[in-house]
Amino acid sequence: MKNLSLGSKVRYLQGAALGLFLIFGYLVSGPEKPSTLAWALFGLTTLVLILLLYTVHRILVGIKNLTATIRKAANGDLDQRITRIKRGAATGGAAWAVNDLLDQQEAFFREVFSAFEHASQGKTFRLAMDQGLHGAFKDAMTRVNVSVESLGKVQQMAIKEKLIARITNLNSGNLIGNLQSIQEYLMNMTQELGIVGQISKETAQEAEASRATIESLVADLNRMAEMIARTNAQTALLHQKGEEINQVVQVITDVADRTNLLALNAAIEAAHAGEAGKGFAVVAEEVRTLSENTKDAAASIAATIESFGEATSRMIGDSEQVKEIAEGSRSAVIDFRAQVLKFADSAETSLAQVSKAQDFSFASLVKVDHFLYKQNGYRVLHQGANSPEARAVQTTHLTCRLGVWYHEGQGAESFSHTASFDRLEAPHASVHQNVQEAVSLLGTHWDRDEAIQEQIFGRFEAAEQASEEVVQVIDRMVEERHRRA
Amino acid sequence: MMIRPQPTQNERVLGEDDFIVSKTDLKGVITYGNRIFIEISGYSEPELLGSPHSILRHPDMPRAIFKLLWDTIQAKGEICAYVKNLAKDGSFYWVFANITPSFDRHGNLIGYYSVRRKPRPEAVQTMAGLYRAMLEAERLAGDGQAGMKASTALLHQTLAQKDMSYEEFVFGL
Repeated sequence: MKNLSLGSKVRYLQGAALGLFLIFGYLVSGPEKPSTLAWALFGLTTLVLILLLYTVHRILVGIKNLTATIRKAANGDLDQRITRIKRGAATGGAAWAVNDLLDQQEAFFREVFSAFEHASQGKTFRLAMDQGLHGAFKDAMTRVNVSVESLGKVQQMAIKEKLIARITNLNSGNLIGNLQSIQEYLMNMTQELGIVGQISKETAQEAEASRATIESLVADLNRMAEMIARTNAQTALLHQKGEEINQVVQVITDVADRTNLLALNAAIEAAHAGEAGKGFAVVAEEVRTLSENTKDAAASIAATIESFGEATSRMIGDSEQVKEIAEGSRSAVIDFRAQVLKFADSAETSLAQVSKAQDFSFASLVKVDHFLYKQNGYRVLHQGANSPEARAVQTTHLTCRLGVWYHEGQGAESFSHTASFDRLEAPHASVHQNVQEAVSLLGTHWDRDEAIQEQIFGRFEAAEQASEEVVQVIDRMVEERHRRA
Repeated sequence: MMIRPQPTQNERVLGEDDFIVSKTDLKGVITYGNRIFIEISGYSEPELLGSPHSILRHPDMPRAIFKLLWDTIQAKGEICAYVKNLAKDGSFYWVFANITPSFDRHGNLIGYYSVRRKPRPEAVQTMAGLYRAMLEAERLAGDGQAGMKASTALLHQTLAQKDMSYEEFVFGL
């Protein structure tokens, strides 16, 4: 009886109760007083009926339990199970079937949850287990695992990317700092080289002036030497003329001596002549006085010529010394001139070198400016469209350091003659324009739109190409300027 | 209290498409077991309900594994473990147990849910060897904290050699 199914049990009970009821009805409805047997049968029938009612009650309780559990499950509470299921209970089979269904569902959900939880941490080894699941549950799990696997891979990649992104961010942040320090350094260097350049220029100008001074000094010394030589010759001539005058004075003295003698003889003769010779004696006296005077004058001339001769002799000696000194000065000045020339040459060379160094330094500075400019653009990716970096890229190709230099500064002055000068404007403008466009696209919902991402990448790529060209053109400009010089 | 069965060499094997499902309260007292559980353990449902889950604990299992298991699930984590269980008649059966905590609507821990599946024979072989070594370590160090420590150290050493986490290791078998 115990292992009979619910339907059979009820049917047996129904049949038995009905049969007994008929017998009992027959016995008690007869003319005789009901027998003991009839009463017994009545009792049995009642018992069967009570049993029937109890069974129905148990079935109803079982169904109530089942309904409650299924309702809870329908409301999403899969934790419930029906326990203490009596062996052979009418609803036992149904209860176990409900438990099995809930076991399948709960195992399914927990597996799915665990597998996704692990996959979201990049743990791809923990797939959902389908063993023990049946039918649609098992089939669904196979499909779930496809998603779990791809999520796991994506997560692994995302975890990897996260570090890469963080390090890239860190790197670019530091790169900007590093570039800024180089920029500052180059700025100082360019300034310092400017000062050095100015000094070199002044030195070269001074060397040039010194060279001119030396040249005129040499010319003066040359002229002086010539004049000394000429003076020497004149002095010698003077000396010679003095000798000649001496001889003439000697002749005059002789003439005067003889005239004196002659006058003495004439006076003697006049005295002989007496009164007649008185006049003649006066003339003879006059002649003698004249010859005396002539002799005195000649002696005085001779003395003058004598001292004149001594002076010219000393002059010749002195001028000989002056000539030597002038000669010495001249060769010293010529040596000095050679040195000044060399100095002027090296001042010229160092001016050229300094100017080259200054150009290199400035070229490096504007290159760094542009690297920084691009870096700021890249940083907007991490720092957002309202960051200081985003504001920093708003400078245009006319207002940035290179732009000012190119359009109104030294660049136009010193480089406009180079062949590459005109080729700088277009790529330079392109760097600024592309970075600015990329940054403005970074202000949109680019993080959700691959088409915008593609555009942003394209702008950055174009900026990189343009920047490469800017660097090359600057290099060529510097080279061309200094090849000419 | 039930008398602990005497272990025998008789093995019971879980069906390929079956799984044992059981639930316990926070203390490990069984609150539900499915029919497969009842059948393979040899205990009736009334015997299982209200009994501690440890009635199935086989003496060949190192205690360190159960410590790891409890530590993990009490920290609201999921644990998977190869376990040798003891049936009522003394026979044993290997399972790959997966235990997850159960929460109420407010997120409070209310019990544990365990699904046990048939393990791959190769995995059982590997784990049986490891468990023997761990059990030996526990026995040598003397039962107690020292034994637990030695056995756990052995497990960590094995994992370190393979450069794997415990989870990676058990799922890789």
